[in-house]
Amino acid sequence: MFIKEYISDIYHAVKSLLTGMKTTGGYFIRPGEIITQQYPENRADLNLSERFRGEVVMIHDENNEHACTGCTACELACPNATIKIITKFDVSPDGKKKKALDTFVYHLELCTMCNLCVEACPTDAIKMAQNFEHSVYDRSKLTKKLNQPGSKIREGVE
Amino acid sequence: MFSLEGLTNSLQQWLNAHFSSTWVLVIESLLVILLAITLFAILGLVLVLMERKVAAHMQIRLGPNRVGPMGMFQTTADTLKLIMKEGLTPDGADKFLFNLAPFVVMIVAMLLLAPIPFAQNFQIWDINIGVLFVSAVSSISVIGILMAGWASNNKYSLLGAMRSGAQIVSYELSAGLSIITIVVLTGSLQLSDIVSSQQNGWWIFKGHIPAFIAFVIFIIAVTAETNRAPFDMAEAESELTAGFHTEYSGMKFALFFLAEYINIFIVCAIGATLFLGGWMPLHIGNLEGFNHIMDYIPSSVWFFGKVFFLIFLIMWFRWTFPRLRIDQLLNLEWKYLLPISMLNLLLVTIMAIMGWHF
Amino acid sequence: MNAAAIIFYIISAFILGTGILAVTTRKIFRSAIWLLFSLIGIAALYFWMQVEFIAAVQIIVYVGGIVVLIIFSIFLTQRSGAQMAAPAAKRNIFAILAALFGFAFSYNLISQYEFPASATQPFVVNVADIGERMLSLSEHGFVLPFELVSMLLLAAMIGCIVIAMKIPENRKGRIISPPDTSEIQINPVPEPQKEEVL
Repeated sequence: MFIKEYISDIYHAVKSLLTGMKTTGGYFIRPGEIITQQYPENRADLNLSERFRGEVVMIHDENNEHACTGCTACELACPNATIKIITKFDVSPDGKKKKALDTFVYHLELCTMCNLCVEACPTDAIKMAQNFEHSVYDRSKLTKKLNQPGSKIREGVE
Repeated sequence: MFSLEGLTNSLQQWLNAHFSSTWVLVIESLLVILLAITLFAILGLVLVLMERKVAAHMQIRLGPNRVGPMGMFQTTADTLKLIMKEGLTPDGADKFLFNLAPFVVMIVAMLLLAPIPFAQNFQIWDINIGVLFVSAVSSISVIGILMAGWASNNKYSLLGAMRSGAQIVSYELSAGLSIITIVVLTGSLQLSDIVSSQQNGWWIFKGHIPAFIAFVIFIIAVTAETNRAPFDMAEAESELTAGFHTEYSGMKFALFFLAEYINIFIVCAIGATLFLGGWMPLHIGNLEGFNHIMDYIPSSVWFFGKVFFLIFLIMWFRWTFPRLRIDQLLNLEWKYLLPISMLNLLLVTIMAIMGWHF
Repeated sequence: MNAAAIIFYIISAFILGTGILAVTTRKIFRSAIWLLFSLIGIAALYFWMQVEFIAAVQIIVYVGGIVVLIIFSIFLTQRSGAQMAAPAAKRNIFAILAALFGFAFSYNLISQYEFPASATQPFVVNVADIGERMLSLSEHGFVLPFELVSMLLLAAMIGCIVIAMKIPENRKGRIISPPDTSEIQINPVPEPQKEEVL
C-alpha cells in the first residue's frame, strides 16, 4: 500500500508540474498574446483595460448640465480628503432656498483612485476617467475644479 | 567545413615552427586563459539576456527592448553600471574573507571549464577522471557561498549560506548517482570516452527508460545545486532579501551573478555531454542520408545547441514553478530523488551487465 | 631546478603557510578556511604527481565533506565572529615541542628510506584498475577492508537515523488519557462556580 501511494504521489507531482510547464511553454511559443504596451510609441492607439482608473471627472451633458446636488457624500467617503465641496444656496422662482453645488474641488495629488467617491455618489454625477498623463511642472495645477464654469444642475435631479 | 579542431591544429603547428616547446606551452596556456575569460564574459551577457527574454515571454511580456535592437545591449549596459558602482564592504564584516569569497566562487567555475569537450578534439584538459573531477571541484563552490554568508556579518546572509550548504550537500548525492548511471553504461570516467561511446546514439535513447529517469533526476539535482528557482532557498528574495550576497555590491556582486550563470552553463554542458552525446551529431539507426546531412553541421554547433536547449529547460522551470520550502526541498531529495536514483542505478547496472542497451 | 621542482616548492610553501595560519589565527572560522586551503594545496600536490583520482577523492572527502561539516558545526555552536583569547604561554611551548617532535620523528623515518631511482618512472593509474583492485579477491585485493568499511558506514548511517528520528508521541511510554475521562475531570469544577454566580 505504501509503494502504491508513493508511486501515485510521484505520478501526480509529475503530471501537475507538466501542466504548469505546458501553460508557460504555450505562452512562450505564442508571442501574439504579449500584453506589453510600448507606451510612448503607441500613444495614438493605447489599449487601456476597462477597469483602469486615471482621475475623477464630472459628467456634463451637451447643455452644460451635471447631476451633482452638492450632497457631499463623496467628500465623506473619501479616505484622504481629496474632495472638497463648496455649496451655495440657489433661490428658486417660487422663493424657496435650495442647496446646490458651487465648486467641486478635486486634489489629484492626494487621490489614490480608490473609486469610493464614485460608489458613494447617489446621482452618478462623477466617474473615473482613463487619462493618466498627469505630469505638470507646478503642484498647484493638480488642484482641479471639476464642475465646468457656468454649469448648473440638471432638471429633475434631487 | 568549419571546425575548431583545424583551427587549434594549425595554431599548434605555427607555434611549434616559431618557438621552443616551453614557450609554446606558456603561450598556449595564456591563450586558453584569455579564451576562458572571453567565454565567461560572453556567456554572462548572453545568458542574462536570454533569461530575461525567456522570463518575459513566459509571462506574456516583451522583456528588455530599449537598449539596442530588441534590447540586445541591455546586459552590456547593466555590466557597465555594475562596474561604475562602488563596492561597499559593510562595517563589522570580515574584510579579507568578504573580498575573497566572490573570487573563490569564480575560480571554481573556471576550473570546471577544463574537462568539457566543446567540439571534436577541442578540450582544454582531457583528464582521465573527467566527471569525478567535475563533481569534486563543484563541491568547493559551497565553501565560497558559506564564506560569503558568514563574512557579511548579516543574519540574512548567514541563513542563506546555511540553507545553501544543506541544499548543495544533499543534492550532490543524487546528481552524483545519476552521473554514475552513465559511467556504468560507458565504463569510463573520461569525458572524451563518454562522448565517443555515443557514436551510434545518445545515451538518453540507448539507455531506455532508466537513462531517461537518470536524466530527469540529474536536471532536478543540478537545478538545486546551482541555487536556481524553484530551489533558490539560498537567495529567496522574498524571505532573505538576497541570501548570501545581500551585502555585496558593484563588481563583487557581478562576480556572484556571473558565477551563477557560468555554473548553469557548466552543469548543462555536463548534462549534454553525458546524456545527449556532447558534440556528437544526431544519428538515427541506418538512415545513411540523414546521418550524412547531420554530419555536415559542425560539432561545436551541436554542442552549444544542446547546452542551450538544457539551459532553456532550466529557465523554463524557473519561470513556471513556485519556490519550495526548506523542508519540502529536503524531503524531495531524501525521500524521492535519492531512493529512486539508487533503484535506477541498480536497474542500469543489471542492464549494462546483461547488455540490454543498444 | 626545473619548472616541476619550482611548482612543487610553491605548492609546499602554500600548504605549510596556510597550515601555520590555520593554527595561529584567533578567529575560528578563519582557521577553518585556512585548513581548507591547506587541504586544497595537498590536492594540488596530488595533481602535480599526476595521481588525479587521489586528488579528486581528496577534494571530495576533505574539502567537500569534512571542511563543510566543520564550518557547519562552527556556525551552530561557536560565537564564530569573536576573537578567541590567546592561549597560555605554557600551552604554546608544549604545542611547538609536540610539532617539533612529530617533525623529527617523520624526518628520521623518511631520511632513512633511500628512494630507489626506478620508482620515479612515470605511471598511469587507470580508474578501472582501481575499481577492480578494490573488489579483487587476489593477494593484493582490497575486498575485505572495502566490505568492512561499507559495513561500518552502514552501521554509522543507521545510528544517525535512529538518533535523529522523531519518536511518535504515543510510544514514549506516556499514556495519553482518553478524552472522555478528562471531560469528566474538568466538568465538576465549573459547576460549583455556576451555583455561586447564581
